[in-house]
Amino acid sequence: MAEGYANDPEWADITPIELNDGSDSGAMPLATIAYPSEYLEATSYLRAVMAANEMSERALNLTKDVISMNPAHYTVWIYRARILFALDKDLIEELNWLNGVSLKYLKNYQIWHHRQVLISSQTHFPSMPAKEPDFLMEMFAQDSKNYHVWTYRHWLVRHFKLWDSPRELEDVEALIKADVRNNSAWNHRYMLRFGPRDDVPDAGMVNAGNADISPEEKGRLPVVDEDLVDAELKFAQEQIVRAPENRSPWWYARGALRAAGRGLGEWEGFVGKFVDGDVVKSSHAVEWLADVYAEAEKVKAVEMLTMLKEKYDPIRKNYWDYRIRQLEEVA
Amino acid sequence: MAGPIFNTERHVKYYLRCLKTFLPSAYVSNDSNRMLLAYLTLGGLDVLGVLQSKTTPEERQGYIDWLYHCQVPSGGFRGFSGTDFGDEKRTSDNKAWDPANVPATFFALVNLLILGDDLARVKRRECLEWLPKLQREDGSFGEVLGPNGTIEGGSDLRYCCCASGIRYILRGQAGKGVEDVPDIKVSKLISFIEACQVNCPYTKCLDWTDRFLFGQSYDGGMGESPFRESHSGHTYCAVGSLHFLRQETDKIPSAQLLSPGSKKFEGLVGWLASRQTDKLLGEEDEEGEEEVADNDNEEDPTTAEVEVRTRDESVDDLIRGLSNMAPLSGATISCAGFNGRCNKLADTCYSFWNGAALMVCFPVTIKNSHAHQVYRCWIGIV
Repeated sequence: MAEGYANDPEWADITPIELNDGSDSGAMPLATIAYPSEYLEATSYLRAVMAANEMSERALNLTKDVISMNPAHYTVWIYRARILFALDKDLIEELNWLNGVSLKYLKNYQIWHHRQVLISSQTHFPSMPAKEPDFLMEMFAQDSKNYHVWTYRHWLVRHFKLWDSPRELEDVEALIKADVRNNSAWNHRYMLRFGPRDDVPDAGMVNAGNADISPEEKGRLPVVDEDLVDAELKFAQEQIVRAPENRSPWWYARGALRAAGRGLGEWEGFVGKFVDGDVVKSSHAVEWLADVYAEAEKVKAVEMLTMLKEKYDPIRKNYWDYRIRQLEEVA
Repeated sequence: MAGPIFNTERHVKYYLRCLKTFLPSAYVSNDSNRMLLAYLTLGGLDVLGVLQSKTTPEERQGYIDWLYHCQVPSGGFRGFSGTDFGDEKRTSDNKAWDPANVPATFFALVNLLILGDDLARVKRRECLEWLPKLQREDGSFGEVLGPNGTIEGGSDLRYCCCASGIRYILRGQAGKGVEDVPDIKVSKLISFIEACQVNCPYTKCLDWTDRFLFGQSYDGGMGESPFRESHSGHTYCAVGSLHFLRQETDKIPSAQLLSPGSKKFEGLVGWLASRQTDKLLGEEDEEGEEEVADNDNEEDPTTAEVEVRTRDESVDDLIRGLSNMAPLSGATISCAGFNGRCNKLADTCYSFWNGAALMVCFPVTIKNSHAHQVYRCWIGIV
């Protein structure tokens, strides 16, 4: 809109509404911005069409213009979505446009919410658009830990029930292979394998809403597929040896055991191979042993925590002291 | 080595520039966050102790008037004046395009308090009537009300924290004068927040009071919503929200997440402590470029994995082939910061989010207590 709206015949019938920042009534505006004139003009037309609740092609183009300057504008996206549905626009075309905007503004939150609003439409998208995973991988190529994109992908899995979709696991494995420290990918894998499968109440807590289930059982899978759990534990072990100081697979394994209702003690043998007296190959193995010993052999647990404090993880000296004191208080 | 120096004067100069001159045009993309930018500016000057001395009473009154200028006629505040098309044009059909915004309302109230306003012009009743309309069935909060009163914005701990803050400021524990205004569903909100904890597999569940324990994800931190990756910003919001909601009555159990000794609490504290890292901003976060503390196999990790598959080398053999960790000492750690997620780089903003969350977990008001010392050590003020 280099020509501007004021000189455009298409907009001749609209009286723009200027920004009222309160200065006329004596207020002193905070966080004032040196607005470029194009932005001031576009937003004054936006206020005018919004006030008229106009659902039109020109209003749709105007939202695009405002979004290009301020993609974090929280009502312009809602307004745009409203117009898209009112005019029955081609949503695939909208997604294609959105892809470009997403790649340009990597840290934007509204873009992903807008995408979710569009794809939520059962009429338009009874199943997932085929190119969705490819585009998400394109986003991950820019930033494989982009929180907004992972949040969206998480939603996508739940919305289209994709827990067992081969593509989901393939992508997660590819990302972990490329960067074994990608905690976002590990978290997604956990959700695929152990997250709640359906629209369970209580915000997706496994069994949390079921009063008949004892507290110990809550969070555990209703039916445990032991083969799956074993396979996940093996996968975690293979990744641990790639980078033994990488926290992600260690905690993934703890989560897998927890979901299956199995204890940390099961890994005592595996973990022990990383610790030989005070010569160790992973500080996480030492912490694991401390947790195993804490159940019955407090003295040995304290030895492990002391080793972390003094030798292998002194950054967290005070935290290890705190843990040691807790054990001593119980003893 | 000389200790780090905090240049107060330059900080003050920077904030005054933000307060009294235009922010550069690049800030257009943050136009809708002006209420937040205002908070950071006023809060910064207030924390530095110069807000009163560097502004006149007339200026402060002018700022207060602008904050009220951002109040929506039906209660609550806008994020910026840019959505305002004029009260006289406001109808039930178009009001959704100029809505009150949850985070903006929280920051507006805090801004008013920082400036010493008595909140007399806040539409308290209207705001408290609006707030429950933003709460979803799962207990979480949205950002704004869209057309037909739909709740817009993600299910997100940030909105939960701001909503709890609004309630804390305007309703308080007793709700004097607004007893007849329906409250938000506090228990549901607490359940949602606790479900966002990445489940802490620390030890076994001990008693019924840990009943929320298993909603968490698997490492003890808090994600944006249930089963999302733990994140310090969201963790701060969860802790902050529960702090605002802290109840001392029998009716609503206080959150396990803020109860020392509970597994949720210990899992959270362990996760927060793990955020300390000597991997600092500026280093490339790439495979192969190992941090000092890391003792990974010298081989390229990807290659190592290929070997597992092709040569069918057992995991045991691979472990035997790993090198031993070199013990670390204070001398080998030049500095340490906080990251916001597992395996990310340290960043100043996360020193705040983690530090502030720890501060709520271990209230500093308990002077000389063990908890106080732990907290001080963790954030490095010993």
